[in-house]
Amino acid sequence: MPIFSRQALYLGLALSLSTLIWHSISRGSWWPVEDNFDSFIWLATLLAGIVLYVQRVKPLPGLDWFVMPAVVILLILAGIFGRTRPHEYVESAWHWSHRVTAYGGAVAFAVAAAVGAMYLIVNGRLRSKRIASGPELGSLERLENLTRLSVTLGFALLTVGLVTGLVRALDSSTTMGRHWFASPKVLLACSVWVVYALVLHAPINPSFRGRRAALLSVIGFVLMIGTMIAVQFMPEATR
Amino acid sequence: MQRLFMLGVNHRTASLELREKLAFSNAQLEAALIQFREKFPDCEAVLLSTCNRVELYVAKSAQGHPDTDQAIDFLSSMREVSALAIKPHIYEKSERIAVEHLFSVASSLDSMVLGETQVLGQVRQAYDRAADMRLTGAILNPLFQKAIAVGKQVLSATPLAEGRMSLASVAVAYARRIFESFSDKTVLSIGAGKMAQLVIRHFAELRPKSLLICNRDREKADALALVNGGSPVSFENLSDHLTLADIVVTSTGAQHPIITRKTFDGIRKARRYRPIFLIDIAVPRDIEPAVGEIENVYLYNLDDLQQVISQTQASRSDTTALARQIVAGHVEEFSRWHRARELGPVIDQLYRRYHELARGELSRTLGKLPNVSNAEKQHLEDLTRRIVNKLLHDPIKRLKESDSMHQASAQYIHALEKLFQLDEHPDSEGAPIEPANP
Repeated sequence: MPIFSRQALYLGLALSLSTLIWHSISRGSWWPVEDNFDSFIWLATLLAGIVLYVQRVKPLPGLDWFVMPAVVILLILAGIFGRTRPHEYVESAWHWSHRVTAYGGAVAFAVAAAVGAMYLIVNGRLRSKRIASGPELGSLERLENLTRLSVTLGFALLTVGLVTGLVRALDSSTTMGRHWFASPKVLLACSVWVVYALVLHAPINPSFRGRRAALLSVIGFVLMIGTMIAVQFMPEATR
Repeated sequence: MQRLFMLGVNHRTASLELREKLAFSNAQLEAALIQFREKFPDCEAVLLSTCNRVELYVAKSAQGHPDTDQAIDFLSSMREVSALAIKPHIYEKSERIAVEHLFSVASSLDSMVLGETQVLGQVRQAYDRAADMRLTGAILNPLFQKAIAVGKQVLSATPLAEGRMSLASVAVAYARRIFESFSDKTVLSIGAGKMAQLVIRHFAELRPKSLLICNRDREKADALALVNGGSPVSFENLSDHLTLADIVVTSTGAQHPIITRKTFDGIRKARRYRPIFLIDIAVPRDIEPAVGEIENVYLYNLDDLQQVISQTQASRSDTTALARQIVAGHVEEFSRWHRARELGPVIDQLYRRYHELARGELSRTLGKLPNVSNAEKQHLEDLTRRIVNKLLHDPIKRLKESDSMHQASAQYIHALEKLFQLDEHPDSEGAPIEPANP
């Protein structure tokens, strides 16, 4: 079964990459995040790639179980919200930077959330002394370290994404308006940033480590997914 | 006639809280045995107190004291726990069932960790202590010696001990669920008892950054530190050691917790809220249960660890089949020995009494018959002897077939003694013993 699932993962990865290449060829452009469909597919591919990388370098039992549902959700989102028509506003380097870093951050946060959820489960088992129940999910220490690493990376990317987004919002040529700071997208993105800032301040306030940090990384990811979905329903001018 | 019974509590019938209240330290055990001897001078007794059980084995005359209620009252008064609180958790076994239980205990078949060898040593210690205080005799001496032999045989001749999961290995497995690497971790042992030595040896194999041995007896701490490549540290600075530690093993003989919630609250900040794995294998416990409620503190006591082992072993019941077979064989053997020992004097007395009566009646009759020849006298003597033997044949046969370690048999013997007044006629009269066969 594990061999079959691993082979299925490789096959899925190959198909996703083929789709992206096919789209790029048909579009005549090699920018990968030009439209929503490609963006979602890229996110799913990156996540699956990270799982494969971790499991090859230093296997973490159960990681597949937690990350792969997110990959499947992203593929479903691509099907629902994906549009192959390029956004009109994706035209400058700022825009590219904004999209690439925001999506890169999302991938890192997805890993952090998956590992954070694993931490909560292992912690719950250890506290309730039901360690034998369910599959092994790695040690708390490793899960905590991996969560912190993913959140750190994601936070850096999200910060760049926010700054580049801010530059784009302040650009008079965009149509976000003068009240860009009141835009739901900006507010949601900032709240995600605050949540992850809380996770990362554990070294300053160590009482935030462990279960709290894991819980926040899951909450942050849920907020971020909410932001991504909310953006799809917003008028294009305000995105 | 001697009767055997036992009563006690163990990990199946009583919570750790109750067991730690009932547990006897070495000094308390000796005091209890002295008191038992004063109260019930005609009894044999062995008191077994381990982490998982407190059991009292008693051999006494059929009509003697204590009965089970008196034995419970004795335990309750010694440990200052209400008898009402103990009674619902007590099990009582007598005769053959008590023998079977003791053999199972010594063989670790009644332990939470099947195949553990420690309980055999504890049974031996309990017996030696009682024997030293002259509390064992005709019943408990052979019983406990047999139990120790059975325990040895089971642990050496069956796969039980080979495949056992030790408490130490379970503790290490738990530690691996919390920590990824041990090269940057500090392991602290508080206490240097046998259990702690086992657990510490397993943790030492993980090559932690430092291994601290904290014990009131500095010599013991030095010895354990030397064997495992650790450092002895003073008991007085326990809070400092706890601040440094990532894994703590406690196994002191303290009667009250040495690590309280208050102690731990005081060092959490200094520890920077690092996770800590606390393994409390002491009974009574060394760490207040409330410590386990603190975030990032993982507290496991003896029952928690043993629970895991017993769950794992539940699926290995086939490995116990051979061990149980050995125990059953020895129970049967001991019962046969006991039967012979119990029945011999009773049967002897019965024959003596009836042949004596018959001889008395015969001599009275012969006195009225002056012309009886020697040959005729011999015939009459043979006749009376055969009549007595035939009359006693069936009841004696039934008695021999019964198991003297069984309650029904005990009742038979008791009835015989009462009905034929055997208990009032010790075998002081010198009539010859007649063969049982008619």
